[in-house]
Amino acid sequence: MGNSSKDDSATSGDASAGDVQPANSSLYSEGERVLAYHGPRIYEAKVQKTEIRKKEWRYFVHYLGWNKNWDEWVGEDRLMKHTEENVQKQQALDKKQSIDKNVKSGRSNQAKAKSSMDAKVDKEDIKNNVPKGKKRKTDSGAEKGSVTVEKLVKIQIPATLKKQLVDDWEYVTQQDKLVKLPRSPTVDEILTKFLEYKTKKDGMGADSIGEILKGIRCYFDKSLPTMLLYKRERKQYSEVVANDVSPSTIYGAEHLLRLFVKLPELLVYVNIEEETMTRLQQKLLDFLKFLQKNQSIFFLSAYDGAKVSEGKGKGKDDREAFCSVKLKSFSSVVI
Amino acid sequence: MSSGKPKEEEHDGMSVHSPCKPPPSSASSLPKEQAAQVELELRVLEALEIYPPIKLQGIHRHFVIYGLMEFLKRSFDRHFSAEEVLQLLDRFYNLEMLKTDDEEIDLLNHEEDFSLPSSYFIKEES
Repeated sequence: MGNSSKDDSATSGDASAGDVQPANSSLYSEGERVLAYHGPRIYEAKVQKTEIRKKEWRYFVHYLGWNKNWDEWVGEDRLMKHTEENVQKQQALDKKQSIDKNVKSGRSNQAKAKSSMDAKVDKEDIKNNVPKGKKRKTDSGAEKGSVTVEKLVKIQIPATLKKQLVDDWEYVTQQDKLVKLPRSPTVDEILTKFLEYKTKKDGMGADSIGEILKGIRCYFDKSLPTMLLYKRERKQYSEVVANDVSPSTIYGAEHLLRLFVKLPELLVYVNIEEETMTRLQQKLLDFLKFLQKNQSIFFLSAYDGAKVSEGKGKGKDDREAFCSVKLKSFSSVVI
Repeated sequence: MSSGKPKEEEHDGMSVHSPCKPPPSSASSLPKEQAAQVELELRVLEALEIYPPIKLQGIHRHFVIYGLMEFLKRSFDRHFSAEEVLQLLDRFYNLEMLKTDDEEIDLLNHEEDFSLPSSYFIKEES
């Protein structure tokens, strides 16, 4: 169909996407089976077409077992590789959704406003990409189930911290290494440090920061065993975390950062108003920047394991030394 | 407007009657004070529609308090501390009696391995 129209976007048919490979190739290929978020759930889908638009890969997906009317263009963030792990995620989400329903339906305007925006985007996509003459329910995207994924809070994790997360993934899942516990500084210490820093800077405003940090600590302690561990870390967890001990007094920045990947999924349960959410996002971002600024101090540059790594960071030993000296001044605190 | 530290002794929380009973000491400025208190409590109730008290009992507690702090701050254009917010809630609810959300129990009982979203790997796989 690539030749059917002089429409700027319609030329992107099957052929061109394959031929003209831009610098970074698409993550999903045509014909690939994938898992796709649609609304609050994940569906099995197939990538029909791929193309680059505004420097980002877009994928035209068909939801397996669903009417073609649902076919749509989506971005990378809506798709997942069809792996066993992800299928489990899909099932988990399904389960969760059936319970969630009541909450979601009680949602307020903010949600509606957003989903109407989504609908607009969908429309635009459709306008640009659907060959003429093909009929299509324009608003379909926003209508099928309540759209959750798009509604999730976006927390922009700074690039160097993203890199940290990928390294973390690499160490644990690919190289079979672990973070040596207990960590120093611990999550508690990092949070306290941030609060001190903010209190000095903002005075009064630090009160709300304090509440947010307590919230983060609480999320961390509760979600670490259920959401934040790679499989290979579970044994270590059961060895290190005894009954009444808070993970936030044992684990450190490496695991804390993982929480920020999951934070949107948790915060969605608190039906925060849009204006407050904007402020909260800003504050979370402040905290992430603080982590970033202290990245070399807070994060391990090498994990424990059989093989010694080739040394990811420079001067890691100095760092460790500096770290422990510096942290003598921390008192173990409950915030 | 009161300093937000209402001194009136509230009984065990569960009772709904007389939450806006004015403190006896302020008899002189009574109508004004009373109106302010009523206004304050109305706003609190309004806020509770968005942030149900049941969520105060679990993992989301602090973000709910934060939400309430911000809500009241916007309504009255002054700072509300977390403690103040909790005191206000205490006029209506016995928070300790609240049960934890079922939804939350489910969230925490379900164990799932951590995984990074695929978007993190785009550059690596190119």
